[in-house]
Amino acid sequence: MAEALAVRGLCKRFGGLRAVAELSFAVNEGETVALIGPNGAGKTTSFNLISGYHRPDAGSILAFGRELVGLAPFAVCASGVARTFQVGRPFGKMTVLANVMTGAFLRDKHVHAARQRAREAIAFVGLSAKENSLASDLTTIDERRLELARALATQPRLLLLDEVMAGLNPTEIDQAVALIGQLSQRGLTIVIVEHVMRAIMAVARRIVVLDHGQKIAEGSPSEIVTNQDVIRAYLGTGYAHRAGSETDPC
Amino acid sequence: MAAIIAQAVVNGLLIGGIYALVSVGVTLIFGVVKIVNFAQGEFVMIGMYISYFLATFLGIDPLVALAVSMPTLFIIGLLLQRFLIRRVLGLGDMPQIFLTFALSLLLMNGALLVFSANYRTVQTAYSESAVHVGPLYVSVAKLIAFVVAMALSAALSFFLRVTDLGKAMRAAAQNRDVAMLMGINPDRVFGVAVGLSLALAGAAGSLLMPFYPVYPTVGQVFVLMAFVAVVLGTLGNVKGALIAGLMMGVAESLGIQFIGADSGLLVVFAMLLLTLAVRPSGLFGGSTR
Amino acid sequence: MLVSLALPLVVTNAFAIDILIRVLLFAFIGVAWNLMGGYAKQLSLGHAAYFGLGAYTSTILLVRFGISPWVGILAGGVVAMLASVPIGALCFRLRGPYFAIATIATAQVLMLLFLKFRDFAWGAEGTTIPNLGNAPLMMQFPGKAGYYYLALVLLAIGLVITRLIERSWMGYYLIAVGEDQDAAEAIGVNVPRIKRDIYMISAFLTALAGTFYVQYIYFIDPATAFSFNVSVEAALVSIVGGIGTLWGPVLGTALLEPTSALLQSWLGSGRGGVQLIVYAAILMAVILWRPSGLIGLLTRRADAPEAESAPVNG
Repeated sequence: MAEALAVRGLCKRFGGLRAVAELSFAVNEGETVALIGPNGAGKTTSFNLISGYHRPDAGSILAFGRELVGLAPFAVCASGVARTFQVGRPFGKMTVLANVMTGAFLRDKHVHAARQRAREAIAFVGLSAKENSLASDLTTIDERRLELARALATQPRLLLLDEVMAGLNPTEIDQAVALIGQLSQRGLTIVIVEHVMRAIMAVARRIVVLDHGQKIAEGSPSEIVTNQDVIRAYLGTGYAHRAGSETDPC
Repeated sequence: MAAIIAQAVVNGLLIGGIYALVSVGVTLIFGVVKIVNFAQGEFVMIGMYISYFLATFLGIDPLVALAVSMPTLFIIGLLLQRFLIRRVLGLGDMPQIFLTFALSLLLMNGALLVFSANYRTVQTAYSESAVHVGPLYVSVAKLIAFVVAMALSAALSFFLRVTDLGKAMRAAAQNRDVAMLMGINPDRVFGVAVGLSLALAGAAGSLLMPFYPVYPTVGQVFVLMAFVAVVLGTLGNVKGALIAGLMMGVAESLGIQFIGADSGLLVVFAMLLLTLAVRPSGLFGGSTR
Repeated sequence: MLVSLALPLVVTNAFAIDILIRVLLFAFIGVAWNLMGGYAKQLSLGHAAYFGLGAYTSTILLVRFGISPWVGILAGGVVAMLASVPIGALCFRLRGPYFAIATIATAQVLMLLFLKFRDFAWGAEGTTIPNLGNAPLMMQFPGKAGYYYLALVLLAIGLVITRLIERSWMGYYLIAVGEDQDAAEAIGVNVPRIKRDIYMISAFLTALAGTFYVQYIYFIDPATAFSFNVSVEAALVSIVGGIGTLWGPVLGTALLEPTSALLQSWLGSGRGGVQLIVYAAILMAVILWRPSGLIGLLTRRADAPEAESAPVNG
């Protein structure tokens, strides 16, 4: 199977703080991989490095064989890697439809075609009813949907989801999990950063565990849950018994 | 030759002290309230007029007038934050920029209307005197201004680092939401920040009066210097603004000495362009992205 | 629309026509600024730089080489457009208020340069352009009507360009950049290039206004050409009228220019000071009570710029 994402030897310091240290992992095409770890482990930083917001001090990031290091964020998006943000960043002055169209314009500059594509993405995330609402008027969960629709409109082959589940209630988490499942079925490669274990167990084929900027474990969900290092650093010894919990055991 | 350079450097440092004082005020507001005060120069101007009138009508030395100009401007700062600045926080760049910008126009042209464009000066006992340090000629008035300016800046630094309110200000500067969660009242903190900043501007005004004329648009020169110094010293960094202010003074002085008498503006712009081209995040900033 | 075409035939008072011409001209300058400052929120306070470059380019070509201002006006536009590239490259390194300060600095630098350079640009005294009387081919008209129509055409061009951009992908990208630059980049918007492009367009149009102005008042000097007041007014009319909207700048100018002209005629030489006080007061009032501009009073949705309703209108 081809590698959608290959991160090798990634390093990043911020002043005296080592955010990411010699990080290496790979994601195969069509896989859904979860990046987990305690706060400050370097998960969002890794996303920022992959998507071009920071430049790594060392290492390489290959997406479908193409080097991403050194590319500006818009170029990263153009090469098929889209990301969502932890805190929703909608274009408040524009409608939902206009927001998503802005994403669609990456692939086709014609207004009609972009509107079409945008409508498809909006329908997929279930926001069609709010198509003409101002983005600034949306609820938090709808903001998340918008964020996702906008990213999907850019027709990515690799999708980076940064804590999409944060703050969602159980029903909403199930809906989100279902959406991610559908995306995966369409062949999209997905990397998610998450704290909500229930969601992770449901969608992730493999899990990569970070702590203090380094990878401390990698494997299938059942392997990770029983991994001693992971339990010590992140999950807590009670997790094995609380497999149904949806809150961050940390 | 060395003596000429040394003299220019000394002159530059002395006026640089004032630039530093104004710059610290600008960077303080920017760091804490996240607003660029386009009207900072006009508050220096107000400080100057206050000192001028106290000196002319009551015979009070401008340095003594510090005791009036600073508190007055502090209160103006509190009012400014309470009634104007607070209304535009969180609205985005445009309202924040143009609010203080409009204020600047208002104050400048208001002063023009009320005081006319005449240059006014204050003569004190020491306005013309100087001390000789080796071959160097040091104006007493400027020396006093420099020393007081440095003392005030140091006091501010101390305040920010040591007192609870100062730490609260730094906290609010770094992360307003978290600061609120920890019980810090942002309005109060912002008010004090603006108040202190304007007090420093007022102080600069009083310190300038013995050797500098006041006229309605006098603030423009200082605010321009301050803006470049704030960028050079990294936005929001008090120590940086201080050092950069001194550097601006020295650069201007060397420029006047070696390029020409009207090269002041040129030097300012050159330093701005240089900073932008080479290190946009300033001397003390990390790499931008 | 048709009313505006017929106006010069009806209005014979020279003072009134002059006000109308100024309204059209500054509305045009405002429209040019608005593309960059309104939609993309790149708040420049140094657009006088391009106004001046346009004015000087056409004047130099006219006075030194005898070239018609109809060619000169385009040449001025091109010069301004080219100048905006390096200027933008430097200024865009800063954001928000510091970007504004950097743009103020560039206009000042240009003014200083033109004050110094007497060899090809007459230095501080400036120059007049020869009064050729009735010479339409040299952009000089006998009465005010000719200038009126020219200004009207310029404004129309500006409005059409704004409308076209608004409804195209570029309009969406501009607003996205204005709203959240980083989020825009995350969805593939080439932010540096968009900023550069819109700056070029804005500079080009502003320069056209500069040439018009010289031809209208038959005079140019650095203080007029690179006047900070021009930079301020360019931004002001859009903010007061409706930032980021098609008609905002027109509304703003229609309000501010006649006010300023009337003030000038009542108060005589106190022009600079009082006019600015009034402008500043209006600006402050708008910001405190209606930051999205007065146009919100006329449309139903106060905060809805055109582009975002485009998907609804088709």
